[in-house]
Amino acid sequence: MSKRFKKIFDNNNPKTKLVSYFVGCYPSPDQSFELIKQAIDNGVSILEIGYCTSEASAEGPVIKAAHDHVLRSGYTLNDTINLVKKIRDYNKEVGILLMGYIANLYKYPINKFVNDIKKAGADAVLVVDAPHELKEENELRDALNDNGLSLIKLAAPTTDQKRLEDIVKISSGFIYQVNVSGVTGVKSANEIDVANFVKRIKNLTNIPVCSGFGIKNPEDAKKVANSGCNGVIVGSTFVKYIQDNINAPDLTQSFGKQVQSFSEVLK
Amino acid sequence: MTKNSLKTGPDELGYYGEGTSAMGGMAVGETLMPALHELNQGFEEAIKDKEFLDEFAYYCKHYIGRPSPLYFAENLTRELGGARILFKQEHLNHTGSHKITNSLFQVLLAKRMGKKSLICESGAGQHYSATAAVAAKFGMPLIGVMGEVDIARVNQNIIKAKHYGAKLKAVPGTLKEAITDAIKTWTTNPEFAYICGSVVSAHPFPKIVAFAQSIIGREIREQSLEQEGKIPDMIVGCVGGGSNFAGAIYDFLDEPNISKIGVEASETAALSNGTPGIMQGMKTYMLQTDDGAKSLGGMSLGAGITYFSVGPLHSYLKDQKAVTYSSATDQEMLEAYKIIARTEGICSALEPMAAAAEVIFRQAKDKPKDYTICLSLCGRGEKDLDTIQEHIGKDFE
Repeated sequence: MSKRFKKIFDNNNPKTKLVSYFVGCYPSPDQSFELIKQAIDNGVSILEIGYCTSEASAEGPVIKAAHDHVLRSGYTLNDTINLVKKIRDYNKEVGILLMGYIANLYKYPINKFVNDIKKAGADAVLVVDAPHELKEENELRDALNDNGLSLIKLAAPTTDQKRLEDIVKISSGFIYQVNVSGVTGVKSANEIDVANFVKRIKNLTNIPVCSGFGIKNPEDAKKVANSGCNGVIVGSTFVKYIQDNINAPDLTQSFGKQVQSFSEVLK
Repeated sequence: MTKNSLKTGPDELGYYGEGTSAMGGMAVGETLMPALHELNQGFEEAIKDKEFLDEFAYYCKHYIGRPSPLYFAENLTRELGGARILFKQEHLNHTGSHKITNSLFQVLLAKRMGKKSLICESGAGQHYSATAAVAAKFGMPLIGVMGEVDIARVNQNIIKAKHYGAKLKAVPGTLKEAITDAIKTWTTNPEFAYICGSVVSAHPFPKIVAFAQSIIGREIREQSLEQEGKIPDMIVGCVGGGSNFAGAIYDFLDEPNISKIGVEASETAALSNGTPGIMQGMKTYMLQTDDGAKSLGGMSLGAGITYFSVGPLHSYLKDQKAVTYSSATDQEMLEAYKIIARTEGICSALEPMAAAAEVIFRQAKDKPKDYTICLSLCGRGEKDLDTIQEHIGKDFE
């Protein structure tokens, strides 16, 4: 785990970290950077910067539309890594993880990707479609570990006890607890299910748990935070806000307020 | 089976071959991993259960109408003047293609595993209408996912599936988009059984579909020995995901003296023009941008072979140089259709006409008369009549 992640989770302020997902370079690299700066200034502890793939198999309509926009505009994983570098230059404390699918990393290829993101200042990687059964996941995990970076693993409601034990063993940074079975931004999280799931994971490990999927407003965030997780992940809700206000002249400022409405309830 | 066999199937994690060049694997989100392991276990148990296999065999015979005939295409053979051409008549199966054998197998497996609802994807709608038929037969609700482009061009299958009680989910695009969306639909409903239509997607689907379809090759062997006194010298089939061709050649994989040619649509020839990549659950050859961010590929008249990627078994067989892969253009497919309609009175689907084009224009003519070529005719042409009429209707006036 990076020193930065350790520092973030060791710090009691805020009590529950706000982890937020951004589609890298959406709607453009410059606008993306301005929006992310607002997020940092308004209380986001960890940024998930998404890179795009045409066959992304876990994205709901909101994030898929943003991915398609980025791909159509011709922005690549390299542009997203450059964005990470700019973010790191802007702020040394915020945690940054790259999030996406194995398709791009396999072609990059994996070792060069890890070197490049380390240089850019990232702390971790999350690959949605790379379970530990996949050879490329093993290769990526080894390369990240060798470089002091983390591979963030997912635990889903369908993950049985044996698998959860296996996942906990190889986890580093934090565990991404998926609250609902489904694609991003569609179903809503159920408070009791989330709390039980957090407990299941916490019984096995001291690694921080961040809970994501189905968190649509600050009230949801507050409820999920009460489950005892260490972080609350907001993805589609923020991407949708950007999408809905994409032509608004004050988007950057109003987005900052939107982020603040979430971070406030997590203090 | 020996270690040197090409028929040992993938390893326990779904890899065909070893090391970094291995193809296949399980590249899906965590939500589906338990379901895939459960399915693999269910499959391994079922194929050791004689009662289950007997039930499958019973419905293969009485519901599907297997074995499909192996037919000596005498007129076509005479016209080409070279090799002796045999048609494996998969289009005569119930619902009109090879797809139903796999649908039947997987629905019976789902039933055995206690699943209550089904999802499938489809390109040409053959897998959708076949799965819908079997789902109706065994009283299970089905959601099929298809691309809007395909829904418009294979309307007959859509109507049939509706009559069987299936529900259709339309997504923009073709088979590629249908496969990605089927994975999303399954992720949202992981308690459903996903009835995958080809030897594609994450392990164990390529293994399961190849197992179900391998009946085609076993029938070819038996029928050819009985009718021709020998097994064919060459087997040719079309390849989209590659299930019909995998089924036709599987039994012969350890017999290198039998030539095997898989034929893709030239617009989406992943094996001829693609590079290895990982999308849609599997590592395999595919048409993609250099950075792996986008799938590529154009449009073929054959909806079922308009697919930018291919099953990992075929990528492995290509790398092993055990099978030859080529491609055919729309124009060649239409010409082949005309020749087969005229000489044999068979209205074939367009997909197998890619394979027919390879036989007619590139393989049969220069072969001796005792050389036998088995062509897998894996679908009937009703679904394509509008497309055929539009492109070459005037040629028949």
